[in-house]
Amino acid sequence: MTDVLTTERDKNDRVETILKGFQINWMNLRDADTGKILWQHNEDMSSPDAEHEARVPKRILKCRVVSREMNFSSIESMDRFRLEQKVLFKGRCLEEWFFDFGYVIPNSTNTWQSVIESAPESQMMPANVLNGNVVIETKFFDGDLLITTSRVRLFYI
Amino acid sequence: MGLLDILKKLRSNPEKELRLLLLGLDNAGKTTLLKQLASEDVNHVIPTAGFNIKSVLSNGFKLNVWDIGGQRKIRPYWRNYFENTDILIYVVDCSDHHRLEETSLELAELLLDDKLRAVPLLVYANKQDLATALPASEIAQHLGLHLIRDRTWQIQACVATDGTGVKEGMEWVCKNINVKK
Repeated sequence: MTDVLTTERDKNDRVETILKGFQINWMNLRDADTGKILWQHNEDMSSPDAEHEARVPKRILKCRVVSREMNFSSIESMDRFRLEQKVLFKGRCLEEWFFDFGYVIPNSTNTWQSVIESAPESQMMPANVLNGNVVIETKFFDGDLLITTSRVRLFYI
Repeated sequence: MGLLDILKKLRSNPEKELRLLLLGLDNAGKTTLLKQLASEDVNHVIPTAGFNIKSVLSNGFKLNVWDIGGQRKIRPYWRNYFENTDILIYVVDCSDHHRLEETSLELAELLLDDKLRAVPLLVYANKQDLATALPASEIAQHLGLHLIRDRTWQIQACVATDGTGVKEGMEWVCKNINVKK
């Protein structure tokens, strides 16, 4: 019993240490055909309690290919760093992307960009339906340990 | 040719997930090359203190391009990223004469590593727009590419900042992605 508690405490300590040195520096969305940035946010979005808001130009819905990019720093090294990113519409998952980074260098700053083709325009929901109902949720893990969750709610303007 | 186009060319590949690894000394132009492939602005590239990854998904196929920082203090970590590499892309600043030997030694070490055994090698002879840049043939000599026997390789002259030669290199990548010996 004591062993289980100790392991649990070790895990919590580890998460706390990693989280203390972990920061999301910026995120952006691009039209991946032109490489042009349509939205960028330069504040730390890793605070797990807050939900962030992104005001994105409506024309992003017309883009054939969109990229999502995140830049993050970590003081601690990690061996099995990975993320799970979901695009949720009213809490329902429209799209998900799992990515294994593996090793993270101590005191490193890194970017990950995912490029995905949009649904055909005929299948795309209109801006007024999507507005405020889409959330990009990114969970960061080291192996099985959840380090933090970032949530960004999209508004189409 | 963007990353999505590359992926579309590779669709016939039996593997569902492909991995390109970009290495080279600091200031060689790896990140600029990666941004050029994605048609992004290359004017504000800063030294990479970790990795930059671009992941492209199309019809269930995934292409991941890994650009790892080349600073001396980061190089010992390179080997953490070797596994499952389909193509090694090595970038050389051809105007950096002082560090030709250093870049040759780093490449030689990569080629000896078991995890990169038989992985096809593309060398980008970058910064050909600079007056002091050595031509690709001379870079090939310095790197000893003609002595390589255990893998297929290619050297491609390029200018990462304006895209010259980048497409040609990527076409070679597409043709050689599953030619592990």
